Amino acid sequence: MGYINTIIILGGINIIAALGVAILTGYTGLFTIGHAGFMALGGYMSAIFVKELGVPFPIALLLGGTFAGLCSFIIGYPAFRSELRGDYFAVATLGFSEATRLLLNNTRSMGQSIVDAESGIGMLFKPIGPLLVKLGGVFGYMNLPGPTSVFVVVVAVILALFFAHMFVTSQYGKNCIAISQDEVAAQMMGVNLLKTKMIALFVSAFYAGVAGGLMAFYFAYLTPSFFTITKSSDLLAAVVFGGIQSLIGPVITGFVLVLFPELLRTFAEWRLIIYGFLFVIVMIFRPQGLLGYVEMNFQFARIWWKKIFHRRQSSQEG
Amino acid sequence: MSQEILNIKNLTVDFGGVRAVNNVSIMLEPGEFVGLIGPNGAGKTTIFNLITNAIKPTAGEIDFKGKNILGKSPDRICQLGISRTFQNIRLFPQMTAYENVELGFHSAPQYSLMEAFVRTPRARRIEIDTRKKAMELLEMVNLKEHSHARASSLPYGLQRRLEMARAMATNPELLLLDEPAAGMNDDECNDLIKLIREIHTTMHYTMIMIEHHMNVVMDLCRDSRIYVLNLGSMLAVGTPTEIQSNPDVIRAYLGEPKND
Repeated sequence: MGYINTIIILGGINIIAALGVAILTGYTGLFTIGHAGFMALGGYMSAIFVKELGVPFPIALLLGGTFAGLCSFIIGYPAFRSELRGDYFAVATLGFSEATRLLLNNTRSMGQSIVDAESGIGMLFKPIGPLLVKLGGVFGYMNLPGPTSVFVVVVAVILALFFAHMFVTSQYGKNCIAISQDEVAAQMMGVNLLKTKMIALFVSAFYAGVAGGLMAFYFAYLTPSFFTITKSSDLLAAVVFGGIQSLIGPVITGFVLVLFPELLRTFAEWRLIIYGFLFVIVMIFRPQGLLGYVEMNFQFARIWWKKIFHRRQSSQEG
Repeated sequence: MSQEILNIKNLTVDFGGVRAVNNVSIMLEPGEFVGLIGPNGAGKTTIFNLITNAIKPTAGEIDFKGKNILGKSPDRICQLGISRTFQNIRLFPQMTAYENVELGFHSAPQYSLMEAFVRTPRARRIEIDTRKKAMELLEMVNLKEHSHARASSLPYGLQRRLEMARAMATNPELLLLDEPAAGMNDDECNDLIKLIREIHTTMHYTMIMIEHHMNVVMDLCRDSRIYVLNLGSMLAVGTPTEIQSNPDVIRAYLGEPKND
């Protein structure tokens, strides 16, 4: 039972982060290989809120997500200002996430030198010195509370899916889709590219941040090595396989990509090679992804409902 | 005193060593419909690109409703009330005809991001309202029955009409049409003339049209004037009859008569 719970929890966390990437890559057309960085920022921040400040866990998750979203402006504003797109933007996100990870790797020694500082710039940061030491650098941020359960994750996934659906069907989401299809035409028709892309990136980073928070409170500790480029490419893989302009696609693949390595434990090491191979196959035969342009809707449920209802009515009449 | 809606003064742009547009001035009063013609490479589309700031001019000024719009971003210019179609159609290919038109209405979202997430009654009302207006525009260009078709699946002529509807959705005061009749036969041209005239009379836009089909230009601009560009410079301005008998224009289109 515990094993299945683990898979559900990790799968759910992966789904939430993949939904974030779907909003940015699937709907806005901006490739990212740096969402692990936003997960790390959100994870560490919500952990700090709970452990150091005693903020309740759900609020800390939202605050962590918001923090990740705000941090996304650090990369988003200059990148979108200078009109980076395609591979160039992807590389920028990769740089950002690696920088974040390396910074977190060194929090302990940085914190120590700030605590020890007698003068100079270290003095300015004196109050956060002990906190940085606590974050522990490569050794990890230990002894966090662990309230993430299957129930929490399932609720979080449902909420995440609902709000993602709301976003992509809103006027903001449709502007994002327009940008992904023809940026020049979108701008000529009055879409503010900088603003719309920043919003998409913010929402996307928020999702990753919340996923990072859930992860922190599941493992009950955090280390920068959770958030390597492998994590980012897993998330991108979920969206590329799952399909662009689809939410349900990345949800399914986001879960499958956690389940799969578990089922084939012996092949886990080969995962990235298999992904690479599958990437090429998908790009050749189905460039829009397995469920590309398949919108999640509840039309089928409505049709079923009508069918059942009508049958009952006609049988009552007959 | 500036009642003109668009005032282009001494506009010049260089691409490297090539002077694509040379000292061009155009002045439009509200509600006018003017044609812009010229041989290939005359700089007609470049002028549209300059007005919408897809290209930055080397020199000159562009005033819209008495305000300088030079250096404003294309989306800002669109919001101020200038919209356009493209010579080589630029629809959003994977979106439906309806979604293409709808975008024009909400390119500047009408509700806040928070309202988008919870879809308040106000946001829903706005969306229903937008839907109604978009369908009206689709009806105007006779595309209502195609509203759920993917834009890329529509025939060429309908794509041109759809682009026009999308441009109209941004609620412009100045509408720039870049070769709306390109690739159409005579019958289709006549339908298009009717449609453009209807749009002009009912919506009261000021319009500039680039077109190579002379019968379309001459018909639509019969009460107004035509600007003729050649090699980036303004060659002639006048009514269709003046233009048709202007020796410079004939020379630009047909070349010098051979003197042997």
